[in-house]
Amino acid sequence: MKKGRGLALYCAALYAFLYVPLVVMTAFSFNDAHRNVVWRGFTFKWYAMLVKDAELMGAMLTSLELAAAAAAIAAALGLFASYAMVRHHAFKGRDGYAALLDAPLMMPEVALGVGLLSFLVRAGYELDFGALACAHALICLPYTVGAVRARLKSVGNERLEEAAMDLGATEWIAFLKVTLPLAMPAIVSGSLLAFTVSFEDFVTSFFLAGIGIVTLPIKIYSMMKFGVTPEINALSVVLLAATFVLLGLNAWFSSRSRESARA
Amino acid sequence: MRTLDRAFSWLLSGRRQAASHLLLAPAAAWLLIFLVLPALGLIALSFAKNGAYGEIVWSPGLQNYARAFDAKYIPVLLRTLGFAGGTTILCLLLGYPLAYFLSFQAGRWRNAFIIGLMVPFWTSALVAFYSWMVILGKEGLLNSALLRFGFISAPLGILYTPFSVLLGLVYFYLPFTVLPLYGSLEKVPRGLIEAAYDLGADRRTAFFKVTFPLSLPGVIAGALLTFIPCLGDFLTAEILGGPRFYLLGNLISNQFLMAQDWPFGAALTCLLLFGMVLGLMAYRRWEPDA
Repeated sequence: MKKGRGLALYCAALYAFLYVPLVVMTAFSFNDAHRNVVWRGFTFKWYAMLVKDAELMGAMLTSLELAAAAAAIAAALGLFASYAMVRHHAFKGRDGYAALLDAPLMMPEVALGVGLLSFLVRAGYELDFGALACAHALICLPYTVGAVRARLKSVGNERLEEAAMDLGATEWIAFLKVTLPLAMPAIVSGSLLAFTVSFEDFVTSFFLAGIGIVTLPIKIYSMMKFGVTPEINALSVVLLAATFVLLGLNAWFSSRSRESARA
Repeated sequence: MRTLDRAFSWLLSGRRQAASHLLLAPAAAWLLIFLVLPALGLIALSFAKNGAYGEIVWSPGLQNYARAFDAKYIPVLLRTLGFAGGTTILCLLLGYPLAYFLSFQAGRWRNAFIIGLMVPFWTSALVAFYSWMVILGKEGLLNSALLRFGFISAPLGILYTPFSVLLGLVYFYLPFTVLPLYGSLEKVPRGLIEAAYDLGADRRTAFFKVTFPLSLPGVIAGALLTFIPCLGDFLTAEILGGPRFYLLGNLISNQFLMAQDWPFGAALTCLLLFGMVLGLMAYRRWEPDA
């Protein structure tokens, strides 16, 4: 099995390549030196500077609000759309809807950004928080649809709904009392993915954020333009940590979603 | 309450096609307004003219497309194709052994490895590229390490070169290649490989005669799923390319944000979308599960 060990070593090297930037950034965010390259001791001061920076905290709040709005819209739109896609019998135009629902994933972010920018500006619409939230909801939609669709497809649910209706529930009551609670873990996990996508999004916001709106990634980008500083490392680590927490929660909810589907 | 119940029940039951369309209407309207209309707007804009003050003059013509194939912009188009192709080849070469390892040797750690592959993919690319800037820069980690150990006498210019752009692209798109490869390797019937061994094939023969040919659908899917998004990549060259090594995505962004030549930018975007549609059609044609 010598050959196998060579392959394992190769894969370890590839994983190292994937994780090097994350590790380097995290390490230097605790480095007590203005320049990144030499280690001068452990410090929290860059994080303390972040907290004191009112502009930065404002950007963080904007990003959180934006992600919450986008995830909520995407979850609501995605729930009803995926219900019709999965539960309803074949109807005309279903393939067209399926292609349309996946389209935001296929569209290059630049095309989406400049398309929305020119469309909104020419339509005379101000590029405000609402416009950005709508755009973020669009890029989030495939994620909520994907999660809920997969959940609704698990066969057990349908039988339970039928049982509820055999016992006299209307479709609406069966939906409220059976489908919705069963789909909840998927709705939550899809919304968390959507939240992550929006919270991290740079490209769409880059094109659509008017002058007044600064999200966290936009703030990071504009700080980068002035050069490499330890605060950016700390800020990046905050963004990373937020992503990890969100993905961890998502994994937890989607595993619950699978477990109860099996039960 | 009664009527509401009946209305919602009618919507949810889907006995009538109209109910399905109504349930899908909010999402479809969202996609129409914020995706389809802007895309149509870009197509219309691509045939317009840019006025002297950046205003849009509607006199339909192909001048923007002609300009895109001007000697000034051909290099950008070719460079974009070259970087996308190079990234695809590198990702396939680097990713195939990893996909093979995941499918055949990772054993019970497989899921952990796959999640490990997805984590950098889900983390903000902006942040990852920033960190590569820190590593590759003139006063960066790599240069100062090489200097200290005496491998070089002056810092190397690694950042803002074709190399740093390619590195960023490979870094970001590797999971796009590995996952389809892994998917198709998983589908290779293990019995066939064992049959090859039973018939006297050595590892190399079994791999090249059985495993690799059977994984070709994954190679094609992985290649297209890397190549297509690479064509429209914007962020990598924006951060790791500096002013000289920009790609089509950056040229488009410049037309909209700096040069204020929207019609020309729209034409470039339409070319990009056209290229992607061609790629997607190829993908549909060779899709592993089709």
